[in-house]
This record gives sequence, C-alpha cells and structure tokens, in this order.
Amino acid sequence: MSAPLDVEALKEEFLFKVFDEKTFSFSGQALADYAIACGETASRYTDPADADFQAPPTIATSLQPGQRMPKGFPKVAGLGMDAGKAVSPKAPIRPDVELLGKSHMQDIYTKTGRSGRMVFFVIRMEVFDPSGTEVASADTSVVIREKPSV
Amino acid sequence: MTIVKLADVEFGVELPVFEPDTSLANVQRFGDASGWNSPRFTDHEHARKEGFPGALVPGIMSQGFLAAMIHRWAPGSVIENVDTIFRAPVIVDVAHRISGVVTDIDEDTGLVEIDLTLVNAAEETRVLGTASVRLPV
Amino acid sequence: MILDLHAHSIKSDDGRAKVQNYCQWITTRNVPIDGFVLTEHRQFDFESDYSELAQKFNLTILKGAEVETEYGHVLVFGVTKPLTEEFDFSNITLKLADVVAAANKHGAVAVPCHPGRVRVGMSAHIEEHGVPEGVHIVETFNGGSRGNEDDIAQTMADKLSYQGIGGSDAHIVSHIGRCATRFSAVINSELELVAALKSGEFEALTFKEDAA
Repeated sequence: MSAPLDVEALKEEFLFKVFDEKTFSFSGQALADYAIACGETASRYTDPADADFQAPPTIATSLQPGQRMPKGFPKVAGLGMDAGKAVSPKAPIRPDVELLGKSHMQDIYTKTGRSGRMVFFVIRMEVFDPSGTEVASADTSVVIREKPSV
Repeated sequence: MTIVKLADVEFGVELPVFEPDTSLANVQRFGDASGWNSPRFTDHEHARKEGFPGALVPGIMSQGFLAAMIHRWAPGSVIENVDTIFRAPVIVDVAHRISGVVTDIDEDTGLVEIDLTLVNAAEETRVLGTASVRLPV
Repeated sequence: MILDLHAHSIKSDDGRAKVQNYCQWITTRNVPIDGFVLTEHRQFDFESDYSELAQKFNLTILKGAEVETEYGHVLVFGVTKPLTEEFDFSNITLKLADVVAAANKHGAVAVPCHPGRVRVGMSAHIEEHGVPEGVHIVETFNGGSRGNEDDIAQTMADKLSYQGIGGSDAHIVSHIGRCATRFSAVINSELELVAALKSGEFEALTFKEDAA
C-alpha cells in the first residue's frame, strides 16, 4: 500500500523545471486526417494542397513528452486519466516541420471526487518551431485516484 | 448563420449543435493520425477489461470536436485557447451532442468567449469546455 | 425569491466562469433566478466584492463555500472570518460533525451537496458512518447530477426528513440557474440567507429540462 503523496513537498521539488524535450513532426496527410476525424471542414485544415494548410489548432495537446513525469518523481499507484486539457495555439503549425516540445510540471493539487482522493498533475508543454518561435502551449491535467490507505 | 466578424456575434447566441462522429472507424482514423491508438480507444473489449463501459474517445479528440464546431460556426475565426474539463468518459460508438453559447464579447480585442458542453443522449455532461476565439473587428 | 445556491467562478480550480458573465447571462437569457451564491471549492473568497455587479444587474450575489468531509462535499452558508478560523477549509478530510458544530457556533448553515453522488455525496457514506447529527438540509437538485443521483438524494431526504435546496453547481457561464431554491423571504445578505434557511420556508427547484 503506497503512502499518500506529500503534495507540498512535490511542488517544492518539481514545479516549473523542464524535465523533457522531444521533437515531433507531422506529415500533411496525418494533419489532414487528424482534422477530418475531428470534424473540420475548412480546406486549410483538410487539404494538404491548400496554400494555407496547417494543423488543426488543438494538435499541440496530442504531443506526448518522452517521459511522462520528471526523473525522481514518486511512482503513484492508481489509474491515470486525463482530467482536462487546455491548448493555446500561437502560430500556425505546418506539415513536415520539426517541432520541439519542452515539458514542465505546472501545478500539483488534490481534491476528492466521485472516486475518492485524487491527485492532479498539470504538465505544460511549450512547443517551438525551428526558429525558436513558440507555436503553442498545451496543459494536460492528469488525475490519479489514490488507493485508500488502511 | 455563418459568422464573419465580431459585429455578427451577440452575447448569448447559440452555436449550431454539432454531433461529432464517435464511430470506432473514425476514432481509429484519429488514432492513426495522432499516435493515440491505444486499445483503450480502439477496442471495446480491451476497454471493458480496464473497467470502462467501452472504448473511449480520446480527450484530445473531444477537444478537436470543440474546435471544429467553432470553425463551422465562424470559419475565419482564430482560436486562441480551448480549455476542456473531462467530467466523464465519452464512449465510442455512442451518440453525443455538443452545444455552444457565446458568454463574453470584448469589443476592443475582438475576443469572444464560448461555453461548450458535450453531452450524451441522457443529457449527462461528459466534457465541458471554454474557448477564446478572435474575430475580425 | 429564487437563488441558485451553488455556483463556482474562476476562483475555484475547476471554475471557468467570470461572475460578471454569470450576471450578463442571467439577464440576457432571462434565467428565472434573482441571484446566486458563489460556493468556491475548499476556500472562502474574502477578497472579491461583487456589490457593484449586484447593483448593476439587480441581482443578489452572495458568497459561501464548498468543503470536503468524510460524508462528501458540504456547502457552508453564512461564512465569517471566525468560522474560517475554526477549521481549515482547504483540508479535504474534514469531519462533517466538526463542520456542523463550527457552523452552528458561528451562525452558519452546513448543507451536504449532491448527496446522491458516489463518493462525494452523503448518501453513499451513511451505511459506513451512520446518519450524521445536525444535518437538516441537503441539496436535492444539483445541476451537475447524472443518472439517478437527484432521485437518490430526494429519497434520502424523504427518509431522513431533510429539507431540500437546489443549486446549479455551475462551473461555466451557461450552466448558472439550472437548479435553484425558492424562498418566501427577500434575501440580500448572507445573514438573511442563513435566516431563511433556518426558517424552513424554501423549496428546491430544477430548470434542467428547460435548459436542455
């Protein structure tokens, strides 16, 4: 049985420190498929031949860091689930461009939900194009249902 | 009504309801394109073994539905932020409906705030969202 | 007078609504309420002053809190500075008995909310912990309820002779007023709200079908 997490200690140690850098690239067809599956109809999202073809604006939330948590972060027992995602597109993302995602822990907090005490981890990835321009940032809130201690 | 500019928008106006394609084939297509193709999303039986009622629509796909709904309403809009809260799983092959309403208009910046709610047939909220959208002033 | 007794603003970690937009929504959409109570999660918001907004929109805007106990979540109405010093509002393992006792001591009222909900509702915990002392009112209509959660709440309330209130549990603007409470009294302050709740002259309302 794992002990409850000491959230304040975790915040002190891990918040705001970049723990992962990873590169990403999407083909035009993958971007178009992504957009069409979501229900986009505008050709700038669905047709790689469009002069203004670009990724759908929420794509940055699909990027996953190479490591989910910082090194040394305690292993948490329980089922991890997406609790929420926020994305802020800042510039168009084009096909076949190498993107660099830098991830850090933005927040850690707890609450009780329908399923007992839950710990929320908010991981922010800032995404840059090859010129170093930030093209998007995406927050992922992962909630882990703690197993009750007995 | 298709929205072109900020003046076309009124506080409280409802976006046309959007019924997203949550079919297994479409979720599979999304999974192949995005890399989110775990069996939790593409295999009902696998998801049930994990304790879910069926395969799950990925949260990022639900977020993509919200953005698409906004673009259908205002094709020239620029989405500045989409913030989603996942209240309950969205199950693959189950019909869902998204409604949206304008809840704030900033005449100076051209920003419009929109509430977005994805519900199932029982009207139970599965995903809540808010979006900030820029429209030409 | 009809008040939505359970709403969250951006002051709550999962709230996405600005209070001004709640007001504008109620007015523009003719939501049939006369005001609302902001019950932020695990805190009491001493900072915000909504009196100008209330005046501008002719609405009653009051403040309470939603705290967390072994019986699930509990709304607290009539919060004062001394009450916030009685227990830590941010503690998610409060004892309901302590919350009720502190509320009684400081002239406040504690109301378990969404009691039909698994884990965070009171009904699910009665078998384990017994019927709690000092509870007289529960939230029987909650705007965020799923399935039969409100039915479970109402059944429990009937069985234990609790009175019911309604609240939207809104976290986004367009959900304000989905459920509410009708009072026979006019309420313009937290003190008057507490008095009205103690008088028993109120009934829970739901407008969810209208909203859908």
